[in-house]
Amino acid sequence: MATLADSFLADLDELSDNEDDIIVEDDADAGNMEEDVDGDLADLETLNYDDLDSVSKLQKSQRYTDIIQKVEGALEKGSDMSNHAIVLEDDPEYQLIVDCNALSVDIENEIVIIHNFIRDKYRPKFPELESLVHHPIDYARVVKKIGNEMDVTLVDLEGLLPSAIIMVVSVTASTTSGKPLPEDVLAKIVEACDRALALDSAKKMVLDFVESRMGFIAPNLSAIVGSAVAAKLMGTAGGLTSLAKMPACNVQLLGAKRKNLAGFSTATSHFRVGYVEQTEIFQSTPPSLRMRACRLLAAKSTLAARVDSTRGDPSGNTGRAFREEIRKKIEKWQEPPPAKQPKPLPVPDSEPKKKRGGRRLRKMKERYAITDMRKLANRMQFGIPEESSLGDGLGEGYGMLGQAGSGKLRVSMGQSKLAAKVAKKFKEKNYGSSGATSGLTSSLAFTPVQGIELSNPQAHAQQLGGGAQSTYFSETGTFSKIKRI
Amino acid sequence: MSYLLPHLHSGWAVDQAILAEEERLVLIRFGHDWDETCMQMDEVLASVAETIKNFAVIYLVDITEVPDFNTMYELYDPSTVMFFFRNKHIMIDLGTGNNNKINWALKDKQEFIDIVETVYRGARKGRGLVIAPKDYSTKYRY
Repeated sequence: MATLADSFLADLDELSDNEDDIIVEDDADAGNMEEDVDGDLADLETLNYDDLDSVSKLQKSQRYTDIIQKVEGALEKGSDMSNHAIVLEDDPEYQLIVDCNALSVDIENEIVIIHNFIRDKYRPKFPELESLVHHPIDYARVVKKIGNEMDVTLVDLEGLLPSAIIMVVSVTASTTSGKPLPEDVLAKIVEACDRALALDSAKKMVLDFVESRMGFIAPNLSAIVGSAVAAKLMGTAGGLTSLAKMPACNVQLLGAKRKNLAGFSTATSHFRVGYVEQTEIFQSTPPSLRMRACRLLAAKSTLAARVDSTRGDPSGNTGRAFREEIRKKIEKWQEPPPAKQPKPLPVPDSEPKKKRGGRRLRKMKERYAITDMRKLANRMQFGIPEESSLGDGLGEGYGMLGQAGSGKLRVSMGQSKLAAKVAKKFKEKNYGSSGATSGLTSSLAFTPVQGIELSNPQAHAQQLGGGAQSTYFSETGTFSKIKRI
Repeated sequence: MSYLLPHLHSGWAVDQAILAEEERLVLIRFGHDWDETCMQMDEVLASVAETIKNFAVIYLVDITEVPDFNTMYELYDPSTVMFFFRNKHIMIDLGTGNNNKINWALKDKQEFIDIVETVYRGARKGRGLVIAPKDYSTKYRY
């Protein structure tokens, strides 16, 4: 018995080693079924495909029959749920539920194995069918119905498949390259189909049983995630107590599959979500919020599991409250952010100025202050047209600069503090004669700033456009002075 | 947008509005809600009312409903905006020649806010006449 169970549980690649251990502790009567997990992994490839029993062993196992019998007994008996106040782990029905969880997962895998078997056997008859009908159970039903019949139109597939698929199947069947199968092969196929269907109904029964009991064993947990997921979570965690002891981040990962993404990004694939993704809340959440919803669900289900493990609230009200809370939160996430309110301006001059006077401020003001010349250029005299750079009011206007009536003979340029500073910097940077001497350097340096320059007054007048207005008093006619900077 | 701003329906209400406000400027727009110029002005007033609420409050007065001030304030323009601070009329040199009021529809919100801030600063310092940050003489003429 132990070896039989071994080979099937070996196929459960979603059960990690840790979880296996937990189950071993709880499944006292199921025996040491997970002992050598590694041994039978290569089974599928090396199986003798002729014999169905060598492929699918679950149905014949002791554990399977035991559990199914117990479940049937329990379902017939109904349940007297009044005396569930005893410690949960000791309750035989609780133990049965834990077993059922493990079994349902096993059955699922068994069905996949049998599906492969049927496909391989039936391929010579109707190779296209497996690409038309994907679901294992549907496939088994259709195969059983068609059998060796070559004209599929004679077979009534109504009720097994949607009508559109039925049409595709019959059209494909009319052109298929398949040949009728020998009788003994067909008999094996039909047997395999029967077995698959039986397993499916058994699984349904087991799940129904677990779900029906979930409401009493973990009312709060099943109020949040639904009884099916609650059953799976409990089964994988290894009981309600271990689920209650688990941190929420691990609950989120219970039942997570190791997916091979073939180098694709993990950003969109739900890589780290387990059974929680099967919950109704998760499914009804928009994809962008699913990860958050998942965390929330896991957190609240842990809390609910803790309540359940101590029988804190048999009515399930806490769970329903949690569920409502989750629903409200997810709704809240989807609301648009509040509209931005216009911010009133502060009262002008309500707070004292930070900057006060002082030497530095005065210096800075001096440096950037408007010059007398600029002031004059910005002003206009009443009734007198200004001169401009291009003449006749075109170009840049000179304002009161250089006008006879201005009262000023000429504008002194004044020593610009800023210019002095810049020039000093410039000198230091580039043209200062350095102390280091090679044979080629001289102590005398001619520089543009220190050099003596004689400017040409005519050139300046030409630049101003004609010199028609170059009077004696105008600026353009003066001697140029030697600029000392 | 006039429906967004409070209206004053009697001469007494206008007086009270001007008298009662201690810390803020009182802006009163005299005119008619149906008038095109007033509509343009109200658009600006309504949109800045929230922004400047810390230092100015805006009221609208229908000059047909409340004719009490028409002669005193010489209200013959389609739209007139006047500034009051602590029961004193504040004049603004807008460059238009009429320092008593804004008697056209000012369409720029920021310009309007700048004017209100300038008026508030001047009024706080006890000035009866302030100079607007922008000269509206040419702008207004052309």
